[in-house]
Amino acid sequence: MKQDKQIKNFAKQLLQASLESGEVSTERVDGVLKSLAKNPPRHHIAILKAYIKLVEREVAKGTAVINYAGELSSDMIVGIVNQLSAKYGRSITSVLREDPSLVAGLRVVVDCDVYDASIASSLASLETSLS
Amino acid sequence: MSSVIEQIEQQIANLQTKTVATNTGKILTVGDGVAKIDGLSEVMYNEMIEFPGGTIGIALNLEEDEVGAVVLGESNHLKEGDEVKCTGTLLSVPVGNGMLGRVVDALGRPVDGKGAIDTAESYPVEKIAPGIIERKSVDQPLMTGIQAIDSMIPIGRGQRELIIGDRGTGKTTIAIDTIINQANINKVGLASGDPDFRPVYSIYVAVGQKNSNVARTLGVLEEKGALEYTIVVSAPAADSAANQYLAPYTGAALGEWFMANGQDALIVYDDLSKHAAAYRQMSLILKRPSGREAYPGDVFYLHSRLLERSARVNEDNGNGSLTALPIIETLAGDLSAYIPTNVISITDGQIFLETDLFNQGIRPAVSVGLSVSRVGSAAQIKATKQVAGKIKLELAQFRELAAFAQFGSDLDAKTKAQLDRGARIVELFKQPAFNPIAIEQQVVVLWAMQNNYLDDIDVSEMVLASDSLRDFLVSRKEALLTIIREKAEIDDDLSGQLKTAVNEWKNSFQA
Repeated sequence: MKQDKQIKNFAKQLLQASLESGEVSTERVDGVLKSLAKNPPRHHIAILKAYIKLVEREVAKGTAVINYAGELSSDMIVGIVNQLSAKYGRSITSVLREDPSLVAGLRVVVDCDVYDASIASSLASLETSLS
Repeated sequence: MSSVIEQIEQQIANLQTKTVATNTGKILTVGDGVAKIDGLSEVMYNEMIEFPGGTIGIALNLEEDEVGAVVLGESNHLKEGDEVKCTGTLLSVPVGNGMLGRVVDALGRPVDGKGAIDTAESYPVEKIAPGIIERKSVDQPLMTGIQAIDSMIPIGRGQRELIIGDRGTGKTTIAIDTIINQANINKVGLASGDPDFRPVYSIYVAVGQKNSNVARTLGVLEEKGALEYTIVVSAPAADSAANQYLAPYTGAALGEWFMANGQDALIVYDDLSKHAAAYRQMSLILKRPSGREAYPGDVFYLHSRLLERSARVNEDNGNGSLTALPIIETLAGDLSAYIPTNVISITDGQIFLETDLFNQGIRPAVSVGLSVSRVGSAAQIKATKQVAGKIKLELAQFRELAAFAQFGSDLDAKTKAQLDRGARIVELFKQPAFNPIAIEQQVVVLWAMQNNYLDDIDVSEMVLASDSLRDFLVSRKEALLTIIREKAEIDDDLSGQLKTAVNEWKNSFQA
């Protein structure tokens, strides 16, 4: 139990070292990994696993995964990214994924938050209300 | 057919086309009805969360990296990576008069096969108990219909009275008798048309019990006509630990609704030992630190926050009440175990049932020395106080003298009289199960004994005499019983009427 806590704390410190202006920097992550490879700490595999998880979570906070079906104009993407950046107070980058299961519309995922404006979810809620 | 199409068209017209924002997470591990979830950054403590397939869970452990949640219901279909959604609402259950006469599960869903429950309101399962400003002293009686309890350990509306004893000592029977007695009183009171009459509705919460036991209890309630005034919340032994943990809170929510609407309710938690064991199981799976007897540190709070919700509120808050009868099962009469001491300290008194008394045929097996009601005597009606004021002392003295009398044969007249009186009281208080006695009948029987009308009857015939006297009163002196019920006090005039009636009965009994 105590060991888990130490590993988590170490991974958190590594994450702090990987941030630049509050965002994950590729250069810094590279530096951290090189340093770890040079001087591997005790339980380095567990530490790396925890570190990867933290980095992934931090990256997800700044990434909007836009799942869409149908057409999506570049103006619309820019509008979504700007609105989300304003909402979260940090620069958000977008990742586009076409998903025909949405039928039409889009579903934007930023970390834990899901913004759903798809026909598939409307149909699902209709199904629930009729059952 | 056309109405169905119209309904669907209406639903489609109401479809929201705007963006729906939800906070989500992903299942990391799931097992033993508990899920660890990554994400759910905005989840609240005790919030309902939605698993795939419409399964509901409650977020109980909000940790730095993950959320621990219990799954209410089937969890076999859940797998790692499944999406979990926040609902933004705390767990609540349907409440209202429509729930009366029904059997529901820990989430308030009907399980009695009588169809959907007609109620529109819902109430949060977890709620902070009424504060001191909203409360009022207990001043109205809640008759159990059990002579030994109503005369010696009276219970008031809004009181928490613990029923404690070993297995098979009649704990549930006392609770069921009380529920049946409320139904009997309700029937008489509602039929009288008295505008001041306040019915008491009952909630029976079965936690971790065998389904056969719950079915038997239901059968008794139905047979005695008490089910129509009762709601049964069932989380049997086959249910998950989470449902067993939740059931008493669901019952409290159902009872609180009556209290909040200015009505009186009685809730029986049968039993809190199994509730604590279910909570222990859940806590250990959630990896919460364990303490004494492996219970988690907050097991006292588990019961204190539940029982504090039973209260008598003042006129400004509707003048309603919620009386609680929690049940605790002891092992070999050990009152000093962890959970019994906790609940004893939370409640306003306890009815202790002894195995030895039960085996001697003294039923209900109430131990006079260890049973107490801390607030109920303020609510006892004057007539009962007049006839039963000294009984507890007399019975306690009898038990002590009886122990000494075993060692000596020569006893003085006073001691013999005390022993004789004690033996008569013990016999008089014997009462069959599911047969509560109306308070006015109890008053007459105790009055007859206090005024020495039963002294020349053989001790072995006391139960017979008591039954005979009550039958006589019901069949021949209904008016006298009504006067006692309405006056609730024995004055000189009533005393004279009682003398005449009891003399009349005695002639017929001796003959």
